[in-house]
Amino acid sequence: MKMLESFTKYRELLSELTMREIKQRYKQSVLGYAWVILNPFFQMLVMAFVFSFIMRIPNLGVPYPIFLYAGLLPWTLFANSLGSASNALVGNAGLITKIYFPREIFVISTIIAKIVDFLLALSIFVAFMFYYHLSVNWNILWVIPIFAIQQLFTYGISLFLAAANLFYRDIQYLLGLVILIWMYLTPVIYPTELFPDKYRWIFQLNPMAVIINAYRQVVLGGGMPNIQSLGIALILSLIILVGSYKFFKKLEGIFADII
Amino acid sequence: MTENSNIAIKINHVSKLFHKQKQRTFKELIPALLGGEKAVESFWALQDIDLEIKKGETIGIIGPNGSGKSTLLKLIAGVSMPTKGSIKVNGRIAPLIELGAGFHPELTGRENVFLNGVILGMSRKEINEKFNQIVDFAELWDFIDQPVKHYSSGMYLRLAFAVAIHTEPEILLVDEILAVGDEGFQRKCFEKIEELRKNNITIIMVTHVLASVEKYCDRALLLKQSEIIAIGKVNEVLKKYSNNV
Repeated sequence: MKMLESFTKYRELLSELTMREIKQRYKQSVLGYAWVILNPFFQMLVMAFVFSFIMRIPNLGVPYPIFLYAGLLPWTLFANSLGSASNALVGNAGLITKIYFPREIFVISTIIAKIVDFLLALSIFVAFMFYYHLSVNWNILWVIPIFAIQQLFTYGISLFLAAANLFYRDIQYLLGLVILIWMYLTPVIYPTELFPDKYRWIFQLNPMAVIINAYRQVVLGGGMPNIQSLGIALILSLIILVGSYKFFKKLEGIFADII
Repeated sequence: MTENSNIAIKINHVSKLFHKQKQRTFKELIPALLGGEKAVESFWALQDIDLEIKKGETIGIIGPNGSGKSTLLKLIAGVSMPTKGSIKVNGRIAPLIELGAGFHPELTGRENVFLNGVILGMSRKEINEKFNQIVDFAELWDFIDQPVKHYSSGMYLRLAFAVAIHTEPEILLVDEILAVGDEGFQRKCFEKIEELRKNNITIIMVTHVLASVEKYCDRALLLKQSEIIAIGKVNEVLKKYSNNV
């Protein structure tokens, strides 16, 4: 599988480029890495305030802030990954015209850097779990395969965006809009049950909806995820990944010409 | 292939067609498509280039702006693909094109040495072993733990050159970088290049400085309007260049 070469043969390059992404972040601002944790935290506080006091979401069995956080964190990871991946090639023009190595390494390194951000932001979530005295059981191990599916899906879309953005720079602006709409079509801030019954099938076709529901089921509900939905999400993710990878590799030879 | 063992690069009837994308945004693209304009415009950047470069040879590529020199270098570096023909490269290539592209201003000199070294194909272990040599060569011990954004452009390029030169390439691609730093450092760079030449390293130089072609190259190649006009002995090609341009 040539697709895996980036992780084996180019391991050191991948880790250097990832470290570059991570280091530049904490060197640029006074609070540095604190922002990675504070951003989603404050976002959660604002939304929790709006939806517990103004809009009033019905009782979910768990406090709304933690319900929201469980969806918001993986969603933020997804949205941030796509955002930075769409710039992964454009922002490395100097290297792309200079030396050859598989170009997807740029995309992978920016996604890994966002995963590091996510893991740090997760610390507050864990603190919240303790604060509310929520217990978990063995089903929490399901987060590992769920996370893997999310990353396959993210990587697939990222490859497409990174290459397309080289040709038309509008892609990155359009992406902001798409992400916003997509978030409201995904049960991030509301539970699936609030969505009209006859339209709920949309969630089946939206891997992010399946993934976020699955996280909540295994972490907050302590139950099994919906295996059938996850299966569909996995298959969709793989189809997108293979298609995007081929698209990316087909255009790779002219990246240096058009950048 | 024993007959090819002393050939570093073989360029076989290579042509390169560039597709110039005229519209970079949808705002430009949509009216253009509606008006029946083409979205891309093509032109030949290189036409029917046939060239063999021997191992250990130093060859200088000269020609006016837009003649295809940099495109040829990109094709050899493997970052761009030929439209027609084929290119065979034997040996590890270190490009010195657009020096410093792999540097990040926020990172320290030390971090950048590792970043750039790995980008150029060295392992971390190799870089560790050569780290002292690299910094010695760049003469930057006092600044190595400062972010390179505080470097002067001369210091910046000195470090980049030092890293690239220590990758132990078999083929070195040099694009207009020798106008780097002060005179003392330039002399040092030239000495290093002389040393590489003695070690049978193939060097391909793209430059406007005819003096450096005269000084270092075994052969010269003149490109004009995407074709080879002359190739051979340095002084003959240089004469042709001054008559032609």
